[in-house]
Parts: sequence; structure tokens; C-alpha cells
Amino acid sequence: MKSPLRVWGVVGVLILLHFILHLSLGLGESAPDLLVVALLVAAREGGIGSGAGLGFLLGLLDDAFSVLAFGANTFAMTLVGMGGSRTRDLFVGDSLFFLASYLVLGKWMRDLLHWVAVGEGLRGSFVDTMLIQAPISAVYAGLVGLFVIAIGGLGWETVR
Amino acid sequence: MPIYKRDIKESEKARSTLIGFVFFLLSVVALFAPDPSQDQVASFLRGTALRPFVLAQEGLVRRSIHAEDTEVLQTRLDSLAAVIMNRNTLSEENGRLRRLLELSERNQDQYVAASVIRSGSPGSASMFGIDVGTRDGVARDSPVIMGRGLLGVVREAQATSATAMDWTHPQFWASAMTEDGSIYGFVQATHGRFREADRLLLDGIPFHQELEPGVVVVTSGLGGVYPRGIQIGVVIEESSAQEGWVRSYWLRPFVSPGEATQVLVLVPREKEQADTTLSGSDAPIQELERATGTIRPGASDTEASTPQ
Repeated sequence: MKSPLRVWGVVGVLILLHFILHLSLGLGESAPDLLVVALLVAAREGGIGSGAGLGFLLGLLDDAFSVLAFGANTFAMTLVGMGGSRTRDLFVGDSLFFLASYLVLGKWMRDLLHWVAVGEGLRGSFVDTMLIQAPISAVYAGLVGLFVIAIGGLGWETVR
Repeated sequence: MPIYKRDIKESEKARSTLIGFVFFLLSVVALFAPDPSQDQVASFLRGTALRPFVLAQEGLVRRSIHAEDTEVLQTRLDSLAAVIMNRNTLSEENGRLRRLLELSERNQDQYVAASVIRSGSPGSASMFGIDVGTRDGVARDSPVIMGRGLLGVVREAQATSATAMDWTHPQFWASAMTEDGSIYGFVQATHGRFREADRLLLDGIPFHQELEPGVVVVTSGLGGVYPRGIQIGVVIEESSAQEGWVRSYWLRPFVSPGEATQVLVLVPREKEQADTTLSGSDAPIQELERATGTIRPGASDTEASTPQ
């Protein structure tokens, strides 16, 4: 049964796991972006304010090591948090197709916003970054997100 | 009553939207804030919320080093000892010649050994952390060296840690020359389609001077960031992208950023304390460190001494 406590518990575990995989174990891009999964899951449960607030905090943590592009992750995650919360009003339901699309598009949108915010001097080409690398990592994050929703008991029955 | 409830719901929604908009504005402020403010926030986060994760990575790196085959380490130590032995005669000869020419003593470079920490977060692909900071003499623009060549440069230094960028970063560049000092240019990173295809480009070579494949390129010391003579890479071929009366060449760098776990950071001379007393069981290690100009992080002032 889905409860706010369970949802926030899963979100907390995802955030912790993200930093363990990326920072402590140094897996880098071979580990999925669990921060965005956590944000997208949490955003569906709260309002625009809480979605933006969580996105802002997670983005700041993500930015702590990107000295020359500081703020790009914060900007991207805040907007994704706001957008995620807004989908609750626009789309009702929890079909597998919707959840998969929500997670994949959410991650791709996060990468797109980051690519825009980073600035011309630091970003790679649009085709390579947004049309080749970003879709792969978005699908990766989406699959992991669906798995987390299924085993986390978040009440989205269609995923089971 | 239902109308009253709807009003409360509407006002909550409006408040939530307002809070969201405030966070959005804050994110824009974070994006366009001046560099020192951004550095302060990033440094604060690394030293507080992310500190346990950074410490865990440091611990894991140390464990992996301890687990390294002792035979490999012994081989490296023997090779290093052989190099030092061969250098003794040259140093003596160099000193004698300098005295004859009435030149002052040449300042030796001094290095601090450090472990590399990678965050793996988006936007930090060409950045890495090191577990030494201003307490060990590391400062902004300190060159970072690994094995045979230049890995990158420190961008920001805190008390016990620092953040550096490697040569794949778009803002990396170094003044360079051929090993014999006859041809000068500058080296910059060029992005490949994927990170593995990132290469270095030696640019600004006068059109009348040509480089053969296999020529070693080192730092020239111009610009004051990198000292003269640090190896950068080897010429592969001439680049087709020529502009004006200059040539450019593709380089194969001596070091691959992905392999970096242990590095050396060049520290300014002011940190150094002149005491060459050797004592105790650490004496051979200290001698080796002095001979190679390397000190361990956290070593006492008497250990951080002048290289011979």
C-alpha cells in the first residue's frame, strides 16, 4: 500500500544509493541517474513547491563537483521537479506506458535542460549528447525507475 | 462549505506554485552567481553533505592501492632507484657546470602525492577531486601529473581537498614545445564523438616548421602555470583543420584521465622547509621522496624537505 512515508523512504534510499554508486564507488556514467528517478517519483506525490524545492537541493548536491558548470544541474533539476509535479494535474493514472514515458522523458528533459544551461563553451554537440547519449541514459534510468516502483511497493499496481 | 474547501485548496495550490517559482529563481541565481560564491557553496556541500561519500571513496582507493601486487610495486621501486642512481652523476656534473658558469642553484620541483576522487555527476565529466589541499601546499593552477605526463590542473583548493580538471576539459590549454625546445605552440583539448575519442591538438605551429610523427611535446613554461618540461604527448599526424599560416597536429597524450587513481600535484616552493636530516626507519623512503621531489600528504615539515 502506498503511503507518503513509504514514498519518501524510497526517495531517500534512492538519493543515498545514487551518491554511493557515483561518488563512493566512483562508477560514474555506468551507474543510473537515481537522483532524477527519486525526484520524478517524489514530484508525483507533492505540489510544485515541494517538487521544485527537492529538485533545487538535489541539483545543488549534483553541482558540488562541477566547478565550471555550477548551477546547471540545479537549474535542470528544479525545472524537472516543477514539471513532474505539474504532470499530476495533467495526467491521471499509472499505466506502465505512462510511467515508462514519464521516467524516460523526465530524464531526457533533465539532460536537455542541463545541456542548455551549461553554455556553449562546455557542452558537446547536440546530436551526440542529446540524440545518442541522453536517450540511452534516459532508457537506463527509466528501466531502473520502473524496477524501483515495482519493488518499492509504491502502489502503482500496473508495474507489478 | 464545499466552496470554502475549494478556496483553501486553491490558495494552497497558489502558495505551492509561488514557492516553486521562488526555487526556480534561486536556481537561476545559482547558475549566474559570481564564481567565488559558486565555489563557496560547492565547497560547503563537498565538506558537509557529501563528505561521508568522498571519505568512503578515499578509503576504497587506499584499499585498492594496498591490495596492489607487491611484486609490481617492488619493480617500480627498483626502476625508480635505478633512475636515481643514474641521475646522481648527472646532478653532480650539472652542479659543477653551473658553478663554473656562476649560475645559481636550479630550483627543484616539489610534488605532493594524492588520490583521485571522481563524482560521476553530470557536468563533472572532466573534473576530479584530490585528497590534498592548501594545508599540503596545493593552490589554484597547481599542475597535476600522473606517471609519464601532464594530467590536468587544480581549479580550486580547500584546506584538505582540491578540485582539478583533466586535459579533456574544453577549457584546458597549455603552452607547449617540442622536447628539444625548437618549436613552440599551445595544446588544447578537442572533443571526439565520445569521451574515449577526446584528443589533444597542438596548435599555433609556424607554417614553415613541420613536425614528424613520434616527436614528444612537453610544457614550455610560458604562461607561468606549468613548469617547463612536463611531458604532454606525442605527435600522431598533422591536423587537416589549418587556419592561416599555422599548422596544427594531433597528439596522443601520455596519460589517460580514466586511469588516474594516484597523481602528483606540483606545489609552490614556499611550502617547503629546508631540513634534510634522515632518521629512523623512514629514512630510505624519505631519501627516495627527496630524490624524486615527492612528499606524502600529511608528512611533517621535516619530511617535506629539499630534493637533492
